[in-house]
Amino acid sequence: MKTSQANVVTRRNRMMDRIATIVLWVIACFLVLLLLVLLGYIFINGLPHVSWSFLTSRPSSSVAGGGIGPEIFNSFYILFLSLLVSLPVGLGTAIWLSEYAKPGKLTDFVRLSVESLASVPSVVFGMFGLLLFVQLAHFSFSILSGSLALSLLNLPVLVRVFEESIQQVPRSYREASLALGANKWQTIWRIVLLSALPSLITGITLVAGRALGETAILVLTAGSSVSRHAPDFSLDVSGGTLSVQLYYMITSAIVPDAKQIAQGSAAVLVLIVLLFNLLIGIPAKILQKRLTGGQ
Amino acid sequence: METAVVPKVKIQSLDLYYGQNQALYSIDMDVKPNSITALIGPSGCGKSTLLRACNRMNDLIPGVRIKGSVNVDGINIYDADTDVVSLRKKVGMVFQRPNPFPMSIYDNIAYGPRIHGIKGKRVLDELVEKSLTQAVLWKEVKDRLHKTAMGLSGGQQQRLCIARLLAVEPDVLLMDEPTSALDPISTLKVEELTDELKSRYTIMIVTHNMQQAARISEQTAFFLNGILVEYGKTDELFTTPKDSRTEDYITGRFG
Amino acid sequence: MDTRRNLHAAIEELQQELTKMGQLVEEAIYESVKSLQDMDVKRAEKIINGDDFIDASTLQIEETCLRILALQQPMGVDLREVSTALKIVTDLERIADHGTDIAKITVRLAGETLAKPLIDIPKMAELARQMVRDALTAYVERNVALAQALAAQDDQVDKLFAQIFVEVIDMMGPNRDTNRQLTHLLMVARMLERVADHATNLGESVIYMVTGKREDLNA
Repeated sequence: MKTSQANVVTRRNRMMDRIATIVLWVIACFLVLLLLVLLGYIFINGLPHVSWSFLTSRPSSSVAGGGIGPEIFNSFYILFLSLLVSLPVGLGTAIWLSEYAKPGKLTDFVRLSVESLASVPSVVFGMFGLLLFVQLAHFSFSILSGSLALSLLNLPVLVRVFEESIQQVPRSYREASLALGANKWQTIWRIVLLSALPSLITGITLVAGRALGETAILVLTAGSSVSRHAPDFSLDVSGGTLSVQLYYMITSAIVPDAKQIAQGSAAVLVLIVLLFNLLIGIPAKILQKRLTGGQ
Repeated sequence: METAVVPKVKIQSLDLYYGQNQALYSIDMDVKPNSITALIGPSGCGKSTLLRACNRMNDLIPGVRIKGSVNVDGINIYDADTDVVSLRKKVGMVFQRPNPFPMSIYDNIAYGPRIHGIKGKRVLDELVEKSLTQAVLWKEVKDRLHKTAMGLSGGQQQRLCIARLLAVEPDVLLMDEPTSALDPISTLKVEELTDELKSRYTIMIVTHNMQQAARISEQTAFFLNGILVEYGKTDELFTTPKDSRTEDYITGRFG
Repeated sequence: MDTRRNLHAAIEELQQELTKMGQLVEEAIYESVKSLQDMDVKRAEKIINGDDFIDASTLQIEETCLRILALQQPMGVDLREVSTALKIVTDLERIADHGTDIAKITVRLAGETLAKPLIDIPKMAELARQMVRDALTAYVERNVALAQALAAQDDQVDKLFAQIFVEVIDMMGPNRDTNRQLTHLLMVARMLERVADHATNLGESVIYMVTGKREDLNA
């Protein structure tokens, strides 16, 4: 009696297990398929328009055959400038939060603010940038305004991933360093940051990849047109980026080949983000391996 | 103890509190130089706390209060003008789990000397070789000095940590259950190493393993609920303990 | 709470084995003197044959001790318990040997009439046997006072031996056979004196086991 009952239960459990496995497989396959369809759509429609002259020449506002050269440059230039601001500030804040801040109301408040800021939509940051940099500071629609606004957008996310990376460093490393007579700053600088480096880099990659695709905030702060000569390193010129260009081509461009340019831009943007993740991800992996011996 | 040796570490009526909880009750203990002193007792008896009080590692824990004194070479390390950095250089610590830094073997050893201002490559090379040799690890790692220390076995990692400590040339070595995460052979290697080191260093070792304390130490201190119950020669404490609580503990008649 | 129940069970078993062996040894002493007194060869032979069993027990107890030391690594009083057992078993084995030797003398003297009825030797034997019994009781009961009292008893045995020694010398004469018998009896007295010494050793072991202190009962 009992055993046959147990058998039924066992059989039912085994069945449930099999069903759950199948369901999870189906979901996973669906996601992979979705990704492939998306990439396929973008590349099949976009790549035929991508040529050397498309990648390097200036855009045209009225006739067909314009390129996206300055936009590509601006995308990276603004990203670089924004990281120049947000990396040191973000790292400093993260170090303060995880190593120096004493648990208390002030620390909790700072942490709460950071977390809230991280979930604010980027268009709101854009509006804020528009007010602060473009209008109040008279930076106008420029690469400078765009970079500053973008760094504000990235800052809370960076603080969060940095703090997490720093906290992941085992306490035992800090103890070992302090027990050797190192002071706190030496311990943070030479041990904690070094150990956290691989995950810090991963964090930066994620944030940078996201920033490359940011549109709304840059439309409102960096403008959409581009300088007459490229590459133009001046900070006060308007700096339309790849994603902004894409947005404009779809919504309000009057050139006859707007659709093709948009599709080409989309393909290039996706490619850049993919390459960017790969190029920074690989050295981070290698570094991780060198530090830990693959453990 | 019977001969009038000047103690290297002299703990006097030491009380220690974690917030409201008292962890150590008026500990008096003289630690002999150039010998191994084992601290034993059940979990939570205060032995590790006392060990950490000897190089002020307890400072890192919020809410710790201390009364009484710990003298190293006759100077109270809890004096207001004590420089914690030079104290920890003099009184080093080896931890329960091997904790090499995620960097090369060479850089691990050179870390201490470097932060204390030693820069010359020749000097560092010599220090690294000397420390690794003292820790009986040189032969095993001399061909892979610039590979990561994380690739070493657990026992090698712990000896590396000891070598790293020796490189800053301390006088006192505090060991907090240094073999609890190691296999038996590695454990014996570390024990043998401590035996070699005791002629030059004063070693205090916390261990959960009574046999280990019996094997390697000259003096043993037994703690219970924050009290130093019995402190004496190891051979006497393990064959003819004076206190019935010690007797109960070492014969396993203890909850 | 006892966290080393295996060890303590093993030690308890060891105590039982030792007590059992002690009883056999005590009996061997008693029986051997009795056989001499009654010139009972059969009784003597039984003792001589029984010695093999005592030797086997000795080995078995030694092995139990080594096994406990190797496997359980006892400390404190447990360690003293086992190290004492190793010593006690040796002393007991020697006592048993003396019993056998006395029985062998009985066999050797078989058929002879004794030069004089035995008086002091049975007295000595009774004392020595009492000492062995007291030592074993002290061991079982952890009775330090009883162990310490062995010193006084040993003095009494020594005195009796000195007395017998003088008596035997006085009785020696020209008759070679009488002298041979007397020498054998002197040897018996000497063995009983040794039995008493071993009994004091047992007492010393018990005192160390219980208190951890060394005391000399044979001064």
